[in-house]
Amino acid sequence: MARGFLVLESGEIYQGLFRGGKSRAGEVVFNTSHSGYEEIATDPSYFGQIIVMTAPMQGNYGINSSVWESKRLWIEGFISLEIQDSERDSSWRRQLSEAGIPILSDLDTREIVLRLRDGGTPWGAIVHAEIEAEARETARSLIAEKKLMNLDWVHAVSRKEVEVRKGQRPEGPRIAIMDYGSKENILRELAARASEIAIFPSRTSAKTVKDWNPDGIMLTNGPGNPSDVVAAVETVRDLIGWRPIFGICMGNQILALALGAKTYKLKFGHRGSNHPVRDGLLGSVYVTSQNHGYSVDEATLPKDARVTHINLNDGSVAGFECAERRCFSVQYHPESHPGPHEAVRLFDYFTERLL
Amino acid sequence: MPRMSDVRKVLILGSGPIVIGQACEFDYSGTQACKALMSEGLEVILVNSNPATIMTDPEISTRVYIEPLTVPFVEKIIERERPDAVIPTLGGQTALNLALQLADQGVLKRYGVRLLGADPEVIRAAEDREIFRKILDKVGARYPKSEMVRNYQQAMDVAKTLGYPLILRPNYTLGGGGGGVAYTPDEYELMITRALRESPTSEVQVEESILGYKEFELEVMRDQSGAFVIICSIENFDPCGVHTGDSITVAPQQTLTDREYQAMRDEARKIIEEVGLATGGANIQFACHPVTGERVVIEMNPRVSRSSALASKATGFPIAKIAALLAVGYQLDEIRNDITKTTPSCYEPALDYVVTKIPRFAFEKFPGSQDILTTQMKSVGEVMGIGRTFKESFMKAVSSLENRVEGLAPVTFSEKKLSMPNSQRLFHLAQAFREGWTVSQVYAVTQISPWFLEQVQQVVSHEADVIEAKELSKDFLLKTKRLGFSDATIARLRGEKVSDIRSRRHEMGLRPGYSQVDTCAGEFKSETPYFYSSYWAKPKPAAAVSKPRVAVLGSGPNRIGQGIEFDYSCVRGVKRFQLEGRHVAMINSNPETVSTDYDTSDELYFEPLTEESVIEILDRIRPEGFVAQLGGQTPINLASKLVAHGHKLMGSSLQSIDMAEDRAQFSKICNELNLKIPAIKIPANGMAGSFEEAAAIAARIKYPIICRPSYVLGGRRMEVVENEDELQSYFERHGDYISIEEPCLMDQFLEGALEVDVDLVRGVDWSVIGGIVEHIEAAGVHSGDSMGVLPPQRLKASTCELIEEISRQLANRIGTIGHLNLQLAVQNDQVFILEANPRSSRSVPFVSKATLIPMIDLGVLASLGKKASEVQPNKYQWDKIDTVSVKGVVFPFKKFPESDSILGPEMKSTGESMGRGADYAEALLKASIASHINVPPSGEVLLSLRDRDKETMLSLARSLVGMGYRLSATSGTARFLFNEGIDCVPVKKVHEGRPNCVDRIRSGQVALVINTSSGRRAVEASFDIRRSCIDFSIPCITESHAAEALLTSLKKHRSREFTVLAQEKMI
Repeated sequence: MARGFLVLESGEIYQGLFRGGKSRAGEVVFNTSHSGYEEIATDPSYFGQIIVMTAPMQGNYGINSSVWESKRLWIEGFISLEIQDSERDSSWRRQLSEAGIPILSDLDTREIVLRLRDGGTPWGAIVHAEIEAEARETARSLIAEKKLMNLDWVHAVSRKEVEVRKGQRPEGPRIAIMDYGSKENILRELAARASEIAIFPSRTSAKTVKDWNPDGIMLTNGPGNPSDVVAAVETVRDLIGWRPIFGICMGNQILALALGAKTYKLKFGHRGSNHPVRDGLLGSVYVTSQNHGYSVDEATLPKDARVTHINLNDGSVAGFECAERRCFSVQYHPESHPGPHEAVRLFDYFTERLL
Repeated sequence: MPRMSDVRKVLILGSGPIVIGQACEFDYSGTQACKALMSEGLEVILVNSNPATIMTDPEISTRVYIEPLTVPFVEKIIERERPDAVIPTLGGQTALNLALQLADQGVLKRYGVRLLGADPEVIRAAEDREIFRKILDKVGARYPKSEMVRNYQQAMDVAKTLGYPLILRPNYTLGGGGGGVAYTPDEYELMITRALRESPTSEVQVEESILGYKEFELEVMRDQSGAFVIICSIENFDPCGVHTGDSITVAPQQTLTDREYQAMRDEARKIIEEVGLATGGANIQFACHPVTGERVVIEMNPRVSRSSALASKATGFPIAKIAALLAVGYQLDEIRNDITKTTPSCYEPALDYVVTKIPRFAFEKFPGSQDILTTQMKSVGEVMGIGRTFKESFMKAVSSLENRVEGLAPVTFSEKKLSMPNSQRLFHLAQAFREGWTVSQVYAVTQISPWFLEQVQQVVSHEADVIEAKELSKDFLLKTKRLGFSDATIARLRGEKVSDIRSRRHEMGLRPGYSQVDTCAGEFKSETPYFYSSYWAKPKPAAAVSKPRVAVLGSGPNRIGQGIEFDYSCVRGVKRFQLEGRHVAMINSNPETVSTDYDTSDELYFEPLTEESVIEILDRIRPEGFVAQLGGQTPINLASKLVAHGHKLMGSSLQSIDMAEDRAQFSKICNELNLKIPAIKIPANGMAGSFEEAAAIAARIKYPIICRPSYVLGGRRMEVVENEDELQSYFERHGDYISIEEPCLMDQFLEGALEVDVDLVRGVDWSVIGGIVEHIEAAGVHSGDSMGVLPPQRLKASTCELIEEISRQLANRIGTIGHLNLQLAVQNDQVFILEANPRSSRSVPFVSKATLIPMIDLGVLASLGKKASEVQPNKYQWDKIDTVSVKGVVFPFKKFPESDSILGPEMKSTGESMGRGADYAEALLKASIASHINVPPSGEVLLSLRDRDKETMLSLARSLVGMGYRLSATSGTARFLFNEGIDCVPVKKVHEGRPNCVDRIRSGQVALVINTSSGRRAVEASFDIRRSCIDFSIPCITESHAAEALLTSLKKHRSREFTVLAQEKMI
């Protein structure tokens, strides 16, 4: 079978088997979710990233497009120790491969994870090559090329047109959704509670949103560095206080920036389905689904903001609330997919307060 | 919320003797919980009747009571100790049932004691199937259609509506006891009768079959704030229909999508909340239709369990410890993760490896029993293999089984053995692929998930490549090792020597790496040295440590003859080595044990106990020495290979081990000793490679003769033969295990002799006798199966002295350093030496607890070369104790409905209990009760005695009548009793027509049976008597000395006088 390498910009190189797709570069991150490879690969927040799955055996249960979190695969590469490739079922491997996403397997993924944990998130490339030198050469140009990409990753994945959907509760609120790379399940959860939802591109102006006159505004998840998402922050600044706002993940960070706070890059991020959070709004401790590389700096939050959610693994901010200005947000994923469902009550918390 | 301030003293209920379905996993849980609560500053009182446990060591809790787990005894303990609370969730089903009884009988209320962890309502909600079903309805969970059956007629009606096959689940039984799968009306009729009887409430849930569904288990925890986490998901390799304890299981689950898994997780949370489990751990079993994915709930246990022990070992999350802390008021987010030391416990472990558990069975020990697996658990032990992939972990688990042939040994393929679940199915599965079956063909007959089948197929198909490879290139060998092939398997496939494969591999630099079990898939740094090997990981040198390293080899899977006693030895040994300034590495493959708790040793290697894996570990950590005398026969058998590889054996040298184990050498030593002390002998003996040779030897040493193959564990294939016909039959049945190279060992059988066990420790210039255990049954019953008493009750003091003298001299002659166990028989003041074991023995924990002599600690000191001046051996005087201790025995005959319960030289018991009392009678009574013998205070005693026992049992019969028991007897015995003027009801033997003695037993008229017989034919003729006793839980004594002992305890029982005794600290 073909030889392949993961080459990190910082110089490390890992050899495995190249199982399909074509050589590509991206930010290299690891995810500790045991299941949900399809949901992860179709989550726009993984735009520009090569995913190392810590669970060693992937593709075990095949594919099913009904679980997709968007209309396409967003990841730049998929690395796992084994990927199912039997006569009976090789569908996940085939699907990635047909989409041109490189797959690297048959290597000690734990070694890579320990490197990412200790050394932080690097750029890297999965390269189809026979020898190391060749792999390094190809990786260098792939990474250089990738880095030229526009920094506003949110814009890259966001819808370019407004989309309006009927909700399932005629008596429910109308909700505007700022699409920073929304997972489909945020839309599903809101539609289930709303009479109508409108999904706006990330660079939509506050005026356009106000013209639609929603009862509440959702700021979605999305990829990349929040500091590079300039337009959205301005829009949100104008919307704060006008209508209740609920932010998730990138939405949490953009809300914080709009309130004048700062964000910082975590060493290796939080990506997995097992992160414990203390939720001061719902008054409970539960396990959450997380996927982010940046966090809100608590010290820079305005005085009227209160940290309501804490990541219990490292004490970082997992959410905050500005009660007077009627906005709150969480850094993790109450819409799960993949991951546990306890936090889904936050959608109720939000929508119940809109009417 | 911090700890409850009003709980300062807690009583923890243990699980009692090891039985099938409830084994040393509860020693693991209980020990962990005790340690956690002790470190919280609580007073911890422990009650458990099983001496072979670490939890009953005095260091583990504030005070230990080795007493029966029944209401009268526990009430006395509560009365004396006045605990604030009882924790019933750590001692398995035994503790839960006992807690319910304590509540129902008002004991808890009377003494103002609360239950922590689970209250009676919760226990009932989970255990009572009707209540549980209402809860499932409420949360919208589905379950198989079923009816609660309370009598035979209703049972027949229910069968008509549900259709066959049917699953029977008696209420409130342990390990699915009395349950099973009925495929036909005939089977159903038999099974429902038994099941109704087994359930203490005479209730059996009869269920539509979900055979072929995929089975899953979730290990969950919840705290009082409602925080809920899944510690581990487990997927069964075997589909529904096989008890989960008998299934191969895999963690984490492998074939569920995230949506399916999360839906299951949500349902688990709702069930836990509805059941009302406020804090602690529980497991919930689910089944999923393989095609539609439809999910049904099978059952839930609101306590720690065998699965939670497995889950703890699989993930590094100490469920029992956390459960104990939650029970006293903490919340999950307040308890630190032990492994990472930085993150809290309210998370869900992420695994970057796969764990496979394979059960170990003992059908061969129970002739006549059918090797078929159903919903009633039958396995006696288990192994766990950890690897980066399923294939690697599965193959490591197979190696860990310690089968005669390592790995997936070829078998003569049988389709029946493939389609019907049985202990050998795994091997037939591999064979099917070897013989060209496809995954879909195998799936059609097994319903094992195709995903698992493919994995096995991938392994098996690589066998051909290994066989055909011209030479083993480095890349090819690495690939092969990554698939989990052991050197032994590669050597077997290629017809080469294991040592050659190993040296080639080493020359290529191919060594396994050791990865950490860290609960978080590498996300956080963790210092806890809990390791598994993998050929996916790069080999790195072991971290340097400041102290000298010692490696302790464990005992592998529990099996009959090698069980928890050896784990006790290992754990206590580890602790002592640590006290002596050593950095101890523990190696073991058994997930149920205390030794495989990462908290026990300084470094834990969860690895197969095979030559290859132990050599790799020792090469990596380069210990000062390895210890082989604590883990039973498994490490003893490995010792010479490890020494040959250049590692140092601590304690007795290979030469001295050989002197004890090699019969020729040992006989020679004994004969030398005989010249010095004429009262010492060895039984007349010989070795025969064929029946003809055996017959000639028999003529010389005279019948009865005890026969056994050369290599035995737990008396496997050991029998007493009474005449030449039986000798011939012996060779016909066991000829496969006898050859010129491995001859049959034949010994003069010492009829009626008194057997004793001696455990001693010898250092360079000292020795300590731990104690002499006198067997209650006469010679002929395996030492593991006979009850024992310490100090001896019948031996003369002079004989005891002689035995001590002989033991010391033998140990000196052999050059023992550390443990030596001797089995002796005394007949007419002659002492016969039967056997020597150059290691810690099954009886060591019992002896240590009876005499308070820390035998294991002394063994460690001996191994470290400590002198008499340092050890002060004279302070250890085993005969200076003022209490009597009796070892009771527990048998699994109930689980093997076709097998005979008569005791003989082949060991059949799974566990032991201990009764300590002021005198023999009290100790005996406690040991009997603790071994679940229902000592009847009145009623009818049925006697059926062989001729030679009739005279000796006469006084016993008279005593029984004097105590008010009614007697009945089979024809011969009845005639004899009449002639002696004793009144009894004559009863027909089975072959004499009906109604006969078995009918009488089955109709419930008999309270106790004493049945002795000898000779194959008589034994077979009386089989039904013993079987019916087992089925009806009526005590059945099959040996005359045991009968006398029982009489002693009956008298005590009627006096109703007994006390409870706290264990004292060891000397």
